[in-house]
Amino acid sequence: MYHKTTGYRVFSVFNYAFMILAGLVCFLPLLHLLAQSLSSKAAVSGNLVSFWPVGFNTDAYVKTFSNSNFISSMWTSILRTVLGTSISMFILTCAGYALSKEFRGRNALMWFFIFTMLFSGGLIPSYILVTGLGLKDTIWALVLPGAFGAYNLILLVNFFKTIPKALEEAAFIDGASFFAILSKIYLPLSLPGIATVSLFIMVGHWNSWFDGILYMSDASKYPLASFLQTVVVQSNMQNMAMSQSEVEAMSEQSIKAAQIFVSTLPIIMVYPFLQRYFVKGIVLGAVKE
Amino acid sequence: MNRKNVMWKMLSTIMLSALVVAGCSSGESNNVATPESVLKDGKYDPPLTMTIAKQQDENSGKYINGESLNDNVLTRWGEEKLGIKIETTLLGGDASQYNTKLRLALTGSEKLPDVLPVYDTMLINDLIESGQVKEITEDIATYMPDRIKEIYKQYPSTFNPVVRDGKVYGMAIAPNLTEGEVMLIRQDWLDKLQLKAPTTLEEFEQVIAAFTNDDPDGNGKQDTYGFTFSGKDSYNTGWVSDPVMIFSAYTGKHLPRQWVNDNGKLTYGSVAPGNKEALGKLRDWYAKGYLNKELATQGAWDALSDFTEGKAGIIVGRPWLYGSVKDVEKNIEGAKVVPYPTIQGVNGDRTYQTAQLNDGVFMFNKDFQNMEAFFLYYDKMYDAAFGTGEFKYGYAQGYDYDIVNEEVIFDPQQFNTPLEAVQGVGKMAFTKNTPSVDGPGQSYYDLANGVEPDTGVLLQSASRDQTTKDGYRISYENRDSLIPNDFNGPPTPTMQNIWEQLTTMEQEIFTKIIYGNEPLEAFDTFVKQWHEKGGDEVTEEVNDWYNQASKTDVMALMNLK
Repeated sequence: MYHKTTGYRVFSVFNYAFMILAGLVCFLPLLHLLAQSLSSKAAVSGNLVSFWPVGFNTDAYVKTFSNSNFISSMWTSILRTVLGTSISMFILTCAGYALSKEFRGRNALMWFFIFTMLFSGGLIPSYILVTGLGLKDTIWALVLPGAFGAYNLILLVNFFKTIPKALEEAAFIDGASFFAILSKIYLPLSLPGIATVSLFIMVGHWNSWFDGILYMSDASKYPLASFLQTVVVQSNMQNMAMSQSEVEAMSEQSIKAAQIFVSTLPIIMVYPFLQRYFVKGIVLGAVKE
Repeated sequence: MNRKNVMWKMLSTIMLSALVVAGCSSGESNNVATPESVLKDGKYDPPLTMTIAKQQDENSGKYINGESLNDNVLTRWGEEKLGIKIETTLLGGDASQYNTKLRLALTGSEKLPDVLPVYDTMLINDLIESGQVKEITEDIATYMPDRIKEIYKQYPSTFNPVVRDGKVYGMAIAPNLTEGEVMLIRQDWLDKLQLKAPTTLEEFEQVIAAFTNDDPDGNGKQDTYGFTFSGKDSYNTGWVSDPVMIFSAYTGKHLPRQWVNDNGKLTYGSVAPGNKEALGKLRDWYAKGYLNKELATQGAWDALSDFTEGKAGIIVGRPWLYGSVKDVEKNIEGAKVVPYPTIQGVNGDRTYQTAQLNDGVFMFNKDFQNMEAFFLYYDKMYDAAFGTGEFKYGYAQGYDYDIVNEEVIFDPQQFNTPLEAVQGVGKMAFTKNTPSVDGPGQSYYDLANGVEPDTGVLLQSASRDQTTKDGYRISYENRDSLIPNDFNGPPTPTMQNIWEQLTTMEQEIFTKIIYGNEPLEAFDTFVKQWHEKGGDEVTEEVNDWYNQASKTDVMALMNLK
């Protein structure tokens, strides 16, 4: 009957109030952005918009979707996310499955991977490598360098380790191969882990902008995040002889708001579908051996 | 068994495709023997390709008609008319990314583009030292067309950053004195309070006091103030939301954050004596609420939103700033913005402001053999500025101008096919800005004096709104108040170590004094500390550089005398 005590009730009130507040803090910026994107240009540049559109119109969205660079960037981002996640997950499950077994040299191999997590080559060597391999200006420059992440590997290995060995042995006796065991037994059983790691990789691909700018020499090949970075981050350069239309384009906050909003939506929509695996995935992955 | 096979096939396919991807790369086109391109009747045959690096601002507009960076109306024009194909092989979004990419290219992992616009003095220096860029003293003398030589002759100081041991390693991008700043004032407020536009510091103070206390917007609330500017990065922004006029009223040519030649010796403006009085004035105004309450946290571009919202009455910036704040006339009924010249100094002299002579320099890959082709192309780009040749009105019909009912139109919304902010056609070529010979706004001055618009530049100027035109006219009339920074060399050794600290200290002290968190005497302490903490060494090094730079007469070597 502890929940009938005053102390508990007070705690409940505070708890709810705090959670609502925390929720609002996350939600309000998004709402502000939505209101800006639906407001008139004049009202936005005069800082008159808070959480409700002033001078309602959908021009910003029309302009956003009629911009071929935005569309091609969106496509690049989707392609990159799908391709990157599949390749990463393929490599990671193969490696994770193998490394969850006991074999000679396993620790050395694991250490080899973890080493890359602690020490990276840095920008210049990676750049030289990627250009040297001829990946520049191709989608592979965005997908391959980060395909194998040691952190995700550790999560997956720990996940696979929680699956009883007896299960595998039983499958062997029934004549299953390693690949059959991996695809028929391990993958379905470790869905929470797979989903969690996939989400990490997906969000990572969707949000990363620096590599796009670094490896692409044509703005039409930029992924969405790189495109937005160049649009939203205002250049503080002194611009000589700007024309009227350029000045106006520079201060079009409502279009920027629309672009940010549209680009955030897809990844927000992925969350609800993967969220149910998320808690379990993190908890299990957190247990290290 | 079957499934196992499928898995192996998948694996090997992935492996193979990775190999193929990797294999495609190494075939560099270095050793392919191409026939020599010959210049015949102003056109190269067979066409040659010039690779360039480019910093492109996505804000400046979008490509239309399905065009792109390397295939657009201007690149096609170059190929057809001149036999020169421009190909961008290095692209950066904003300044820091662009500089990063240039530095990475310097590692030698790929070929450096033929033409490199460089916007950072440190990088200019590093490029020269790396030995990767071409010495072009002879090339300028031989290939630079005469009309462009005339322009470069006017701005010898723009060569200072690219001269090393009497050799020239680059040239300014389209040198030209930029437009000056004007005061944009809410005319309806002035009229309502029966004030006239300020010309002196006392009048300025009266106006901003009235704008703050006498309810100029007539809503019965004290919710307006006089003067909005940015104090976030520097008290001399040089383009929009600039307070430098107040400092210059007391210090003359010694502008904050700028080096000025004072009787043959470069001195640093922020430590000049008059700054103390200027800070005292601003401190007083801040306390009385005449200034933007958040001036220290607002960047140049943010500080103007108070003006657009109808809260602030005066803002200073280049004439085109009107385009960014004119929405106030939409937001508030009856609002009217009018440009005025900046105020006079306390002793009756004019006030000064920063001028830019060029935005970056061109540098060239040391293996680049086609300087003649570059100058051919560069000269053509100037056609639009001079109003000659093919680009009489602009670069491409239907892009930056159009002819509707036999009339030349520059407003993209009135084109035969109306357009929204389009990528500036000139910017599809080399650089962020197109060549101009209009100075601080000569065409506007001429138009105001009754010259008939017949060239592209005049027509374009005539097509702009009256407020902007007035602004440019004022800018041109006051062109003598524009002073370029006399130090445009690379950061000196001591600068590299301590300049960041010194400017941070300067910005903090100035802001604290204005905010009233430090006594006015803190300025004296700042000056003392500035000298002690390395300012003296920096001054010495800067002067060494200046003497060095002006010692050799490179202009004569380049035949630019």
